Amino acid sequence: MSAVVIVGASHAGVQAAASLRQFGWEGGIILLSAETDHPYHRPPLSKAYLARQKDDEQLLLRAPDFYRSQGIDLCLGEPALAIDPQARQVTTAARCIGYDKLILATGSKARTLHLPGHDAEGIHTLRSIANARALRTALEKARNIVIIGGGFIGLEVAATAAAAGKSVSLLEAQSRLLSRALPATLGEFLARQHGERGVDIRFQAMPERYDVAEGQIIGVILRDGTRLPADLVLVGIGGIADTALTDPLGLKVQAGGIAVDAHARTNLPDVYAVGDVAAFQNICAPDPMRLESVQNAVDQAKAAAAHIAGGHAPLTATPWFWTDQYDMKIQMAGLSRPGVVDIMRGTPGDGGFSIAQMAEDRLVALYSVNRAADHMASRRLIASGQRLDPARVADIETPLMKTVAGVS
Amino acid sequence: MTDSILITFETSDGKKVEVQARTGISVMEAAVMNNITGIEAECGGACICATCHVYCKFPSGAAVDEMSLAEDDMLDLAAAERQEASRLSCQLQVSKNMHGAVFVIPEGAL
Repeated sequence: MSAVVIVGASHAGVQAAASLRQFGWEGGIILLSAETDHPYHRPPLSKAYLARQKDDEQLLLRAPDFYRSQGIDLCLGEPALAIDPQARQVTTAARCIGYDKLILATGSKARTLHLPGHDAEGIHTLRSIANARALRTALEKARNIVIIGGGFIGLEVAATAAAAGKSVSLLEAQSRLLSRALPATLGEFLARQHGERGVDIRFQAMPERYDVAEGQIIGVILRDGTRLPADLVLVGIGGIADTALTDPLGLKVQAGGIAVDAHARTNLPDVYAVGDVAAFQNICAPDPMRLESVQNAVDQAKAAAAHIAGGHAPLTATPWFWTDQYDMKIQMAGLSRPGVVDIMRGTPGDGGFSIAQMAEDRLVALYSVNRAADHMASRRLIASGQRLDPARVADIETPLMKTVAGVS
Repeated sequence: MTDSILITFETSDGKKVEVQARTGISVMEAAVMNNITGIEAECGGACICATCHVYCKFPSGAAVDEMSLAEDDMLDLAAAERQEASRLSCQLQVSKNMHGAVFVIPEGAL
């Protein structure tokens, strides 16, 4: 019997397994996971799970008996240790597994910061549920929290911690938040929201070393000499593709990830890569890039599964992403590019608002705060590429779907 | 002891699955834990993907979570047709008085 081996039971890996069956693949499916927990949703780790509003069971991607019911051999605690693409074999500690098709879904890992004192107790990163459990326990005891990095994870944890009444400082190397990911107006709005809730955001702030006593973190020393007391530090300075296993294979790499086409195929025959680890020329982007998002994990996994099952469903989806902080639901669709014009729909701080980015009267990307209708409409309008009337886009009273040029 | 109640999921072809759902979790989570086909729940309950759309038949007297503006907006542009009884199941908390509720999964929700 032919078999697909999937390395990594990430959201992308699990989706690939489920979609293979859905698309009619009748061969074996072996899903290898380094983790011992059943596969889970990652976004709540920095929010509802951290705040104990959701428990382990509520995070599950699928019920534990789903895998067996679908003939998916989920192997928990059995990481792939080596891959031999010539022999078409994956090696684990226990065995060699032959494959006909291989899907790499190893995800990304947290970038680390090797400052003096980095091995002290109380310095955390957040990527896995095990990380989240450790962070949650530490957070509940902590009084002074320093978050290094003003990215999405850092800001979400800052929001969760501030809402729990903790003292939170956040260090951002740039002069504003998320300067590459968000329009300036939105980055500045977010900074104000955090500031109003007591988060001490320090811009252009660089940590120099950790202050450690008896193996425990007690503070962070900045380059300008400032000392911030800390009994908990979260390092949230981004993710890097987890390619430790695949680096020896001679896979083509681009933009820090494994290069794949619209069917998630790598340059090696019958080897696919999906999710955070893959770098792809998205139709919305000028250059190949990795996308660390649920949407990309799901859609890329479906494209790979369709191709393996004999179908044809190249990845053409419009990227979308979200972050929840306090009472703000921030949703993004499309990918920004140089030369776009920002058009405001509504006013920051006055209920919901959106920022539409347009080029030649077409919607390129849209960022919304508590404006789900704008977000959903933008996904359709970005994908369709219809010309819009910019004056109507700027009018928050006009539904975005009704801004198509020449249609009243 | 967690309380649990009986709810039913009905697929568009008329197949019914009765499940025990513990109170406090969402209807979407109850569907996932029982492998209900057609509740994809890609976003895991963040009210952003609209892949957990259901048509609800609540027993009389059931107190149901009110619809937020975000859910209302998501339903307007969900893949399946919006009906009077449409809800996103991730936004519905299982409660005692929901016992006997039926959730119909829209056609083509796969």
